[in-house]
Amino acid sequence: MILGVDVGGTFTDAVLLTGEGVVTGKAPSTPRDQSEGVMAAIDEVLARAGAEHRDVERLVHGMTVGTNALLEGNTARTALVATEGFTDLEELGRQARPELYRLCAGRPAPVVGRDDRVAAPERCGPEGVLRPLDEDAMRERLDALDDDVEAVAVCLLWGFRHPDHERRVAELVAEARPDAHVSTSHATAAVFREYERLATTTVDAAVSPLLRRYLRHLTERTGEAGLPEPEIMLSSGGVADAATAAAHGSWTVLSGPAGGAVAAARAARRAGAEGAVGLDMGGTSCDVSLVLDGRVAVTGGREVGGRSLALPMIDVHTVGAGGGSVAWRDTGGALRAGPHSAGADPGPACYGRGGDRPTITDANLLLGYLDADAPLAGGVELDRDAAERVVGELGGELGLAPEDTAAGIVRVAATQMAQAARVVTVERGIDPRELALVSFGGAGGLHAAAIADELGMQTVVAPVASGVLSALGLALSERRRDLVESVLLGGGDLTAEAIAETVERLAGRGRDELGDAEAEVRATYELRYAGQAFELPIEAGPRAAPGELREAFDAAHEERYGYRDPDAALELVTVRVAVALPGSEVEAANKETAQRRAGRRARFGDEWLDTEVLGPGRAEIEGPAIWELPGSTLVVPPGWSAVCDGDAVVMRR
Amino acid sequence: MSGLDPIELQVMLGALRSACDEMGAVLVRSAHSANIKERRDASTALFDARGRMAMQAEHIPVHLGAMPSSVEAVLGADHSPGDAWVLNDPFAGGTHLPDITVVSPVFARGEALLLGFAASRAHHADVGAPEPGSMPADSRTLEDEGVVISPTRLARGGELDRELLDDLTARMRNPGQREADLRAQLAANRSGAERLMALADRHGSDTLSQAMDETLDYAERRTRARIAEMDDGTRRAADVLEAREGDLALELKATVRGEEIELDFTGSADQHEGNLNCPLAVTLSACYFALRVLTDPDVPPCAGAYRPLTVIAPEGSLLNARSPAAVAAGNVETSSRVADLVLAAFGQALGQGTMNNFTLGNEHFTYYETLGGGQGACPDSDGPDAVHVAMSNTLNTPIEALELEFPLRAVEYSIRRGSGGAGAHRGGEGVVRELEALAPMRYSLITERRRHAPPGAAGGEPGARGANLVDGEEQPSKASGHLEPGSRLRIETPGGGGYGEP
Repeated sequence: MILGVDVGGTFTDAVLLTGEGVVTGKAPSTPRDQSEGVMAAIDEVLARAGAEHRDVERLVHGMTVGTNALLEGNTARTALVATEGFTDLEELGRQARPELYRLCAGRPAPVVGRDDRVAAPERCGPEGVLRPLDEDAMRERLDALDDDVEAVAVCLLWGFRHPDHERRVAELVAEARPDAHVSTSHATAAVFREYERLATTTVDAAVSPLLRRYLRHLTERTGEAGLPEPEIMLSSGGVADAATAAAHGSWTVLSGPAGGAVAAARAARRAGAEGAVGLDMGGTSCDVSLVLDGRVAVTGGREVGGRSLALPMIDVHTVGAGGGSVAWRDTGGALRAGPHSAGADPGPACYGRGGDRPTITDANLLLGYLDADAPLAGGVELDRDAAERVVGELGGELGLAPEDTAAGIVRVAATQMAQAARVVTVERGIDPRELALVSFGGAGGLHAAAIADELGMQTVVAPVASGVLSALGLALSERRRDLVESVLLGGGDLTAEAIAETVERLAGRGRDELGDAEAEVRATYELRYAGQAFELPIEAGPRAAPGELREAFDAAHEERYGYRDPDAALELVTVRVAVALPGSEVEAANKETAQRRAGRRARFGDEWLDTEVLGPGRAEIEGPAIWELPGSTLVVPPGWSAVCDGDAVVMRR
Repeated sequence: MSGLDPIELQVMLGALRSACDEMGAVLVRSAHSANIKERRDASTALFDARGRMAMQAEHIPVHLGAMPSSVEAVLGADHSPGDAWVLNDPFAGGTHLPDITVVSPVFARGEALLLGFAASRAHHADVGAPEPGSMPADSRTLEDEGVVISPTRLARGGELDRELLDDLTARMRNPGQREADLRAQLAANRSGAERLMALADRHGSDTLSQAMDETLDYAERRTRARIAEMDDGTRRAADVLEAREGDLALELKATVRGEEIELDFTGSADQHEGNLNCPLAVTLSACYFALRVLTDPDVPPCAGAYRPLTVIAPEGSLLNARSPAAVAAGNVETSSRVADLVLAAFGQALGQGTMNNFTLGNEHFTYYETLGGGQGACPDSDGPDAVHVAMSNTLNTPIEALELEFPLRAVEYSIRRGSGGAGAHRGGEGVVRELEALAPMRYSLITERRRHAPPGAAGGEPGARGANLVDGEEQPSKASGHLEPGSRLRIETPGGGGYGEP
């Protein structure tokens, strides 16, 4: 049996693949020590399945320890060793201010304080060592480190290409401070461009001690319970053992959303779509991800909480539109939704917990999409009168009837999410009309058809397990290592031999770490025309020939930017290698025929229509209909037809 | 309000905004030069059929007021589907020569109906001035600053004018890169045009046109609402620019009257023999920037937002110069001071007030950079350190990128400790960047706040003045010369002023 456990903001979800089906369990999250909620959710799901701890062969875990530490600034006290003259790089950033017109809006405080920055007496250039490392002086400076320092980041100029000085400095740090965690830039993110590499390395050093403590604690508890050692979901959608995750905390900052994106990719594949947009809409925000060629699209770097991380991470874009997002009228008279959220407490007005501002959930209730007579997940009773009152008040300000206001709130929210989907598709040169939309999270299915309509998409996939999809993604995930190295090869140096040598070396490391010499190797080559400063990723075999890369790059460049430049020299900047062992497959969760529930009136466009309501299970239906799945609701408007095979509802028009 | 309801309005606002963002993404990703790709010195915008700016994705504020004048410069011409115009003439739609703008008329699919214009502007790394990088420190007329392109048709019916393109780029350094960057601008405009056409397909061209009208009214309402909250009355501010021949005085009388603001620069110095002159579009950009800072930063950047603002800058003055004045520094430095004047009039502590422009190069390479410094402190918080403070917001060139591409080695890049002005809230700190030449090359510096420090407010101390050093010897605000291998250029950027008694 395979067990996936995902820690969310409110609940910790567990999904067990028993070999015959899928069993789910839930427990409240325990932010102070996430392992408590994890163990409770595991006990719950095992009890429901009638299984024992020792029946579990594999335990895959997604968590938010790294993210929370980073966003809340509760990281370990960290020192930085950087090339002399360049110790302020993290604080300098790229010198752009975060907001053009709010002049005192600063960037987040640097991870490493000014007193904890140590100058390394050394210097490398593009071609190698310019000034040898003065080891005596280095030792002296390391001895002066404050006693409270728990972690040390080492990032030297050109260290991704000439790592010997970083390795030696790391040894000297280990001698001076045997208990401290050490992260070096070449081992954390061996990428070109010093700021992004250094920022990543400092984050890695600062969150790793927390990850190590948490995972050690969790591993003790799972060991005592007779469970296997947990594997950890990485930000890239791959899975690593606990020791690797503890050594590189920065690799886990998107561990949470990655599980959902992996499951969205699987749902798209099963529905016959190789390309898809994943839409995970919860209470406060909406995460939009991209699936290409059946796999989650991964970016080489992005910002998390205002900090640059040059790491392979799922390409997820977040907008502040969730069920609890508040609708309001701005000073210009336009109707807005979010980014302010009523959160889980007080929550939407219809929760009856004192929320007095209209939210997206209130609008969905008034339009008949949510059932006023059935409690939501977690047992929340809905108060339709409260929703009507607050939405009506907003309508008064806007000069609109309450129902028109509710329809407007839902429409505005849908266009915002559609724009987020455009960011991960159109701005990357991908046409969304050719993709499917995979909706999940509690609120995704309520808006999926409207978003698909806005983007010209023809297919929506709503997994039956939408409410616990992230945990399911964990249970189904492949075991994987991601390795990266910037090589900066151009002209005569860009040979098939040089490429094969790099890929082989990285693949060998990955296979060693996985302990499987047969694991699949996927290579991505980040290429550019000489003189360009950004690269395009090209997937090709592990022994790609320069001519093959050239052709693929020219074609990709033309597709994305409208022209190719056959005269320009080609440069290979970075090689990324993923080494993977396939994950499990699972049969349809629910083989029963869907139950028809009592129908109700719901509003589509300007009309109120009698609308059929179904429970989970197999069925085929024409819109208008509402499909109530465990923990989520799918709206099927007129003009759409939907079919469920027990695993997912696939909706087409 | 008429026509669109509050829901349609928000939907169309979002559509226009994302269309401009997508244009920007295409431009930044497909350009070749570090200037556009790494530093994002570029902007994109959509206009209605009357040439009024409906939305802009501005990466840097100095393009705020400048894009409308570019479209205005070609508005009256004959347009056909697939046409595109190119220009950089500061006295006919441009600002300074390196900023080249491409404007494409957009027509409804298969119809002769003009929907509007898509425009993109990018700072090109060289436009053929005698000084590599075309940001000379000592130009005296426009001709000294490079190739002047008056509005010219670059493409007709979708066909690129090959001869024109070859002729233009041949007069600039690195013609291949120039062409690639111009093609990236054309690609950005195509993407914007495609979105406008798709909006017209979906909603009808009448609704699109109405939506653009209402976007302007909407932005105007939001701006007026905020101005109305400001105290009525007149405020004054004065400051100087550091020309080679001495200080040039700038003066402002700012008046708030109900929902409107008037910024009157009468009394400022006449245009001069150097290159600190501004075409009016640059002065407008700086005033628009300051207005956004003082009112509502989230108002859509479009023509309507600026309707409640009147700017008076007498023709022939430094802030509304006549052709053929040299203008290279006007766009980058005078613009910062204009923004400073407005912010100072409204009681704010000032930031570094310069972009610290420097260019290094020889016949084989050109490297142009601007440097961040201290932001002025705010009434409720310290000024951020090491950031671009006003009209620019470009990224730096990474040390590893510059060492890979240019015969240069970085010696130091650090925070300039102690340079922020003291106060109840401290001004932001400046930056130190020191580079060593590995080959013979020229340098050119266009900087400010080397003689006069950025003032604080409400009793806060000024930030530290900046400094330019070549091999340890201090250089003036504007300087150029030779570096031999082993010579070092060190730039220390100014700190921001403090706010409140220390």
